[in-house]
Amino acid sequence: MTTELDPLIHVPTRLKIVATLAALPDGDALSFTRLQDMLGLTPGNLIVQLRKLEDAGYIGSTKTRNGSAQKTTVALTGKGRAALGAYTQALRDLLGGLDRDGRPAEADRDHVAFRAGTADAPGAQDGDGAAASPGHGGIGHPSGQAIR
Amino acid sequence: MNSAPGTTTAGHGGDFDPRQAADLLDQATRRARRQFAPLSPLLFTFRAVVVLVVFGGFWLSVRGQHPYTGHISGWAIAVAVVLVAINIGWTAWVVERAGSGVSGPAQRKWQAWKGIMVVAWIIGYGTTAPLYHAGVSHPVWGLYPASAPLLIIGLAGAAVAAVFRYWPLAGTCLAIVVTAVAAGFGGPAGSWLITGIGLCAVYLGFAAFTAWRQRRSMVRP
Repeated sequence: MTTELDPLIHVPTRLKIVATLAALPDGDALSFTRLQDMLGLTPGNLIVQLRKLEDAGYIGSTKTRNGSAQKTTVALTGKGRAALGAYTQALRDLLGGLDRDGRPAEADRDHVAFRAGTADAPGAQDGDGAAASPGHGGIGHPSGQAIR
Repeated sequence: MNSAPGTTTAGHGGDFDPRQAADLLDQATRRARRQFAPLSPLLFTFRAVVVLVVFGGFWLSVRGQHPYTGHISGWAIAVAVVLVAINIGWTAWVVERAGSGVSGPAQRKWQAWKGIMVVAWIIGYGTTAPLYHAGVSHPVWGLYPASAPLLIIGLAGAAVAAVFRYWPLAGTCLAIVVTAVAAGFGGPAGSWLITGIGLCAVYLGFAAFTAWRQRRSMVRP
């Protein structure tokens, strides 16, 4: 059994973001401010994490303007739902292969591998709240000011 | 918490082992499910108590009437008004919280559901006015409000929920219809009691089902 945890999701803040968005019905979107409120994150931190997820195609964002106010909504994409499904399955497989002390069971000990933390994985080098990935144009501050 | 060798994520906010990840995933999912749910288990439990108290109170008012007049005591009406007002306020708060910041097709379906149900409630209970105007007999006057509006509301709710594929809600609405039909056999006085007990059971069942759906783990069986 080879168990891989997607490093893009296997970060506490991003895991909470993806889990929260996945609780919405497929196709529904959540406003940036509600998401921020639910997760208790600062706007800057949330933007950084959302941008990483958007770079990977896990979430999509839409900006709408109503007069001077701009509203940003984010939604989990099909790819994001599939990634969370695979991540959840990997967790199930992994926890099924752990003994009571949390160590890999004997049979699985040599086969447990994680993509998390490997250099080639997207976003693997970035920690929670790390700087934004360059070259992205999606998520901006809800006030309308683009954050890069 | 012990971490399995090689199972933590270096550089990702410290040790974040699979057990922690599973716990966090479940915690975040349950919290989101609760906050996005317009049909709160706690609210439905409260509604179960409301219907039992209100319809039970009406039954206590009319059960000893010979001949049946349909007159309901002032105290029973007062209790009903207070509980229904609390229910309406609580429902409005839950629905507002669930839909705040959410947009999309499912949200639009939910808005349509709410609109149709408001119309069904108005039609269901509004029909009592022409009955009163027509001067129907006391037994009819007693039987109709306890069961007929629930037939209309339950059927409308089941139809719309089925169209939108909200199967648990469709099943609940059909159970309300069954309760209303059964209440019709209870006579003018007994219909209140059957409706109260039946609706209480339906609401408790739906509350238990919703609570189970909200609490079930994403990872663990």
